[in-house]
Amino acid sequence: MIEVHVIDVPEFRPMVETQRDNPEVTISGPVKGYWTIQAPTQLTFSRKAMKMKPAVWYGIFTGGLNGEIAEWGRDEVRVIGTNRPL
Amino acid sequence: MPEKLGTREDASSAKSFNDAMGVGTGELTGTRHASEDGVQLVLRGVDHTARPTWKLNETVEFYRDILGLPLVHAISARGWGPPGHHDFLHFFFDAGKGATIAFFYYIGSERPERYAPEEHHFYFATHTAWAVDTEEELIQWKETLENRGIKVSPYTKHEILESIYFTDPNGYPVEITRRLRETELIDEVDAKLTIQAALEIETESREAGQLMPDIDTVWRRKAKLVDAYKESAS
Repeated sequence: MIEVHVIDVPEFRPMVETQRDNPEVTISGPVKGYWTIQAPTQLTFSRKAMKMKPAVWYGIFTGGLNGEIAEWGRDEVRVIGTNRPL
Repeated sequence: MPEKLGTREDASSAKSFNDAMGVGTGELTGTRHASEDGVQLVLRGVDHTARPTWKLNETVEFYRDILGLPLVHAISARGWGPPGHHDFLHFFFDAGKGATIAFFYYIGSERPERYAPEEHHFYFATHTAWAVDTEEELIQWKETLENRGIKVSPYTKHEILESIYFTDPNGYPVEITRRLRETELIDEVDAKLTIQAALEIETESREAGQLMPDIDTVWRRKAKLVDAYKESAS
């Protein structure tokens, strides 16, 4: 299970908004200032869909990532589940 | 020996610069935390920052004549205090709200090679960032400086700041920035958790005799800390 925590502030909220229609994910929150996005096997974020500037894009997992970055690019990131310790 | 010009050996019996200044080395052994004495010390913003310059004319031209910052104070003195101190000028340009940017010009000295500017993020990290209030002011800075012949970076929106950058004749980076929003309680909570995660990873990496591997490792630890924070009472 992948888990991404998203700080409930304007710069990061598009991470939540662009996953709302994704049937694979569960969104909960905000709890004490954090949204949590859960996905069973993989999770993809699109920079352009989120209209995110690069300086924010390169820090999108600053809220916390329980998962592993499988592919990282300027416009798309794909996260997969991991057994690595937190 | 140009390096000896204007230096003074007779103003102090101290054996080192830090001794003469009456400061230590920054070693934390034997220090105590604010939480132990309960005294909350208060700061009221920046008074000045200061850097050395070996280009007096260019520095004054840049800050006073090109940026248009008023020159508001200048000290000229013989070398005193630390042994071998050069005679010097220490001069201040107004940067708004009582803050100044200051320079030391050490008379008769040549710039040591290690003070040469480098095109590297380690070097760029030491910079001065001045605040403006509005987007219009930021745009005016960029467009006006470009019209005055200064190469100014594109606008960069960070999380809570939008900034432009340029360099002075010494190679020192300068930033003009505006707040995109007020910070909230969650920003403070999140900063604590991010830095806590990074502190833990640094400690564990040191214990393993390694460098911190990557930010992903910090992000994974952060996930664990946020889980615990969300489940905690309050």
